[in-house]
Parts: sequence; structure tokens; C-alpha cells
Amino acid sequence: MSKRYALLPCNGLDKTAGCISREIALKVEERSESEIICPVFFRVAEAKYRQSTQDRPLVVIDGCQTRCASKLAAEKNLKIAEKITVAEEAKKRGQQIGASLRLGSDELALAEAIAQQLLAEESKEEKEVKRAGEEVVAFPEKYEYEIYTKDKFIFRVPKGEQFFFNENDCWAYVIGHRARVGVTDFVQQSLSDIMFFTPPTIGAEVEQFGELGNIESGKAVFEIVSPVSGKVVAVNDELVSSPERINDNPYEKGWIAELELTNFENDRELLLDFKSYFNILKRKVDSFHV
Amino acid sequence: MPEGVIKIGVVSCSGENCLGGTISRLATRKMIDEIYPDKTVTICLPLFLAGGEQERMFANAYPTITVDGCDKLCAKRATEKYSGQVSDALDVSKIIGKEIAESPALSTRNLTDEQREMITKVAQEIKTKFEKVFTDYVNTLIKSGKTPASGCGCQCGG
Amino acid sequence: MFSKIKVIPCSGMGKVYGLLARESALRVTQNLRPQECETMCLAYLVTGDQEAREKIEGKNCITLDGCPAMCAAKNVEMAGGIVVDKMKMIDIMKEYKGAKPGTATELTEEGWQIVDEIAERIAAKVKKLAKEEE
Repeated sequence: MSKRYALLPCNGLDKTAGCISREIALKVEERSESEIICPVFFRVAEAKYRQSTQDRPLVVIDGCQTRCASKLAAEKNLKIAEKITVAEEAKKRGQQIGASLRLGSDELALAEAIAQQLLAEESKEEKEVKRAGEEVVAFPEKYEYEIYTKDKFIFRVPKGEQFFFNENDCWAYVIGHRARVGVTDFVQQSLSDIMFFTPPTIGAEVEQFGELGNIESGKAVFEIVSPVSGKVVAVNDELVSSPERINDNPYEKGWIAELELTNFENDRELLLDFKSYFNILKRKVDSFHV
Repeated sequence: MPEGVIKIGVVSCSGENCLGGTISRLATRKMIDEIYPDKTVTICLPLFLAGGEQERMFANAYPTITVDGCDKLCAKRATEKYSGQVSDALDVSKIIGKEIAESPALSTRNLTDEQREMITKVAQEIKTKFEKVFTDYVNTLIKSGKTPASGCGCQCGG
Repeated sequence: MFSKIKVIPCSGMGKVYGLLARESALRVTQNLRPQECETMCLAYLVTGDQEAREKIEGKNCITLDGCPAMCAAKNVEMAGGIVVDKMKMIDIMKEYKGAKPGTATELTEEGWQIVDEIAERIAAKVKKLAKEEE
């Protein structure tokens, strides 16, 4: 089946990585039924691309960590199906990007490899068709909270038997063999405005109390300590371009990752329930100058 | 009751239009940085005005002092509008003089000794009012037999 | 008649990003492009000051927000200003990973360097806008 993406490359004309992102978009467009969105035009007159962004899965191609295309997509409230950052892809492949804005053979080869990757990837629909027999896990969108306040700061802790916490202020919400994981309000209030999110790798096997990526603010880097052991099956990609979602609500839109559990019966012995964690949180908050 | 859990909010303007705004901002920062760091909570005025839940909730529940750079009294009016009566209010232009307060806004890069003295003077005024508000608040709580409202959100006193 | 472009910071008190926004606005309006732009007190606008609203209604504005709450951008738009650029200090700070700009009270050398760079960017936008308006 030919791909039908809406491709949004960044407009990085002053960086090689930005030029590569454009090249990737051109290659994918030439070989499929995809459509390119001009980011400059989109910013001032989005009507032209409205249909395209509604009907097609959006692929955002950023050149560098500034992630202009991702930010534009977020600004326009678009759902991103796939995100590529050229600088990261180059790093993964152990490749250096040259300094010239005219793409050399190495840069063109990189663009080709990434384009091939996009053309070969299964679409969400294709994956869903494949997974038709599998169990679909739907995590709640809203939770109920107990609240603790200090000064003007509010610390929420979600109630519910399916919530488990570790003393590193991370939580897991367990449904069957799946868990959704994140950090608590104590973490996001302590860090203040979160600017960067380094996600765990999908497919990675994580032990209980192993690292599950990290989040960073101007104050500190916080390593996310997994409350459970398992295999990473999903990551909240929205946090890459909008890490502030963790500040808004680290339990709902700010969740970090989902894991297929491998040893939960053992793991839970070392975890805290809501009541125990709430008491620990109160002590931490009282002694901490937020 | 432990004094440590009692806090007073200070809402300051940081007016871009005038020196009074700069002085107001820096004097308020002095309260939280040096004078009463454990008792002061600064309320971010833009966030307060834009509907910040935490800012308004605090100003509603706790005594609040407003510090304004000029006689437009934006901080005072906003606090009264969204969170009820203020416990006390300060107009910086009455302390340093209207003409000086209304001179152009100042970057903190270029503070002179004279301006630093103004900041200290205004901070002292805030401190005086703060102490009075704090004492009155503690006395009110003692008389009513209430524990402070900080802590567990269900008001159990925990 | 040419109306100065408004550069409006949020000036949030609690975080260094508010101070960065404020200082950047002052640098560009007082030093870099004083003929083409001016700043305005956000509090005036939001508390309904009529003079402030008349000054801003239908006029081009650049807002500088310290944090994702976007107080300046939201309030300027509500007051009828045309926000042609919404600058967010947090997003700009992502380009300075690892930098320690200071506190909400005072900036470090690094912080002042960042202010100068942000101010240059704003100045470039102001210059462009002013040219378009002429």
C-alpha cells in the first residue's frame, strides 16, 4: 500500500540537518502519495493544508533539537503520527553531519536511509489490523486525587488500587499485564518548568528500579526510576515537543511510558500503595523548600 | 501552633512602564530571598491575573500584602477582584516620590547605589507591614482555635 | 502615522524566565530599537486600563512569556492586540542547555548574555515589522 503521509519538514535553511530534513520529505513525496506541507506557508495560512492534516497521518521531520516543525505542529494542535529528528537519526547511525549546506554524498545517503525507513514503516491502521486479535488496553483519561498543599503549591496523588508508587516518586498504573508509568507531582513541582524529555527506547527491557529515560529542567536532570520490570511497549511521544505536559498533569497527559509487565507479583512487594506514598509525600513536601 | 506553617502572600507589580515597578519587584524579591524566606510566598501577578489556580487559591486562603509601583494600584485591584480583601497595601510612589517612581523602568543591570537604597527602604516598609499582618493573623487563628489551612487538602489538620 | 510596535513581557516574579523576559524587553525598547518599539505594562492591560487598551487594540505586538502559562500572549490577545510573535523564554532556553542564567532576582553573566541574544532577535523582528508598516 502506498504511503499517504502529510510531511512537515522543518525549514532549517541555515543548518545542514535542516537541509537533510527537506531532502527526506522530497524523497518520500516522490515515491508515495504523500504531500509536503510548507512550514512557512502553513504558519501564515493554514487553510491550504487543513484537509491534508485531517486526512493523512502527519510525519514531522526536524533537523535539530530546536524542533521547529514539532513546535509548529503543537501550535496548530496537530496529532503527530511519526517524528523524525535528523540529528538524532545521524547519531543512532554513528554518522557525522557535514558543515556545508550543499548536501554531500553522506548526507544524501542519510536522507535516503531515513526516507526508506518511513516508506517501509507500517501505518497505524496497518498495525491495528495486525493486532486485531490482541487485547487493547485503555488507560483512564482522568483520575481522582488526594491533595496536599504547601504555600501556593498543590501536590496531587492519584487514588485507586491500581496505582503503585516507589520512593523515587514514580508511579505505575496497572491493568492486567500492562502498566503505564510516570512521575508524581512532587517531581514536577521540584523541577519546575521541564524543558527536555529523553524517552526510553521502545522494546527495551527494564528491571524494577531501572532507568526509564529522564526529564530535565533548568534546575536539574531527573532520572525516571521504573517502579516495575517489563518491556517498553509505548512512549508518550508528545512529551518530546511538549515536556510541559508533565508539569500540567504528570498522571494524565504527562504519562511517560507503558510497559508489558514481566514480574509484577514480585515487584509489588517493594512498591507503595496510595496511602503509604501520600504519607511519604507529605513528609518530603514539609521538609523541602519548594 | 508551629509558626513555620504560616505564610503571608506578597503580590507585587513589576510594571514595565516605570521605575516604581522595578523597585516594587526587587523589594518583594528581597522579602523572599533575605528578610523572611520561610514566611513569604510571592504571587506571580501575570499568572494571578491570567487565572493561575495556585496563585488565586493561596491569596484566597491566606493574608496578602500588595506592593504597587505607581498609583494605578494594579496589584491591589487585581487581588481584591479575584481573591477578596487585601490585608495591607503599599504604593511605592508614596515612599520614593511620585516623580521618581514614574521615571522610566530600569534594568537590573544598571542599578545605582541610590536605587539600591530605595529598594532597601521599600523592603523595610514591606517588612513592617508584613510583621503586623503576620501577628494579626496568628492572633486571629489563636482566638478562633483553628489550625493553619496548609497541609492535607481535606482540612484534617494533618 | 507610525505606531510603535509593542514588546510586552510577562515579568513573572517567581522564575528566572520572567526576569529574562523583562530584561530582554527593556534592552530592545530602551537600547536597540527605541524609535520603533516600546514596552507596556501587562498589569495595566489586564486590569482594564482604558488608555492601555486603546494603545494596543489592533496594533502589532510581540509578547515574551517566561513559562508555558503564556500570560502575556493570552492577555494581549484578549485585549485586542495582534500578537505577531509569541516568544517563550522556556523554548529559547532549550537552545542553551546546561546554562545557569540566574534567579528571579538577578541574572548571572551567562544570563545577561542570553538576554542580549534574545534582545537581538526581537530587534530583528521589530526592524522587519517596522519596515512592513512603513
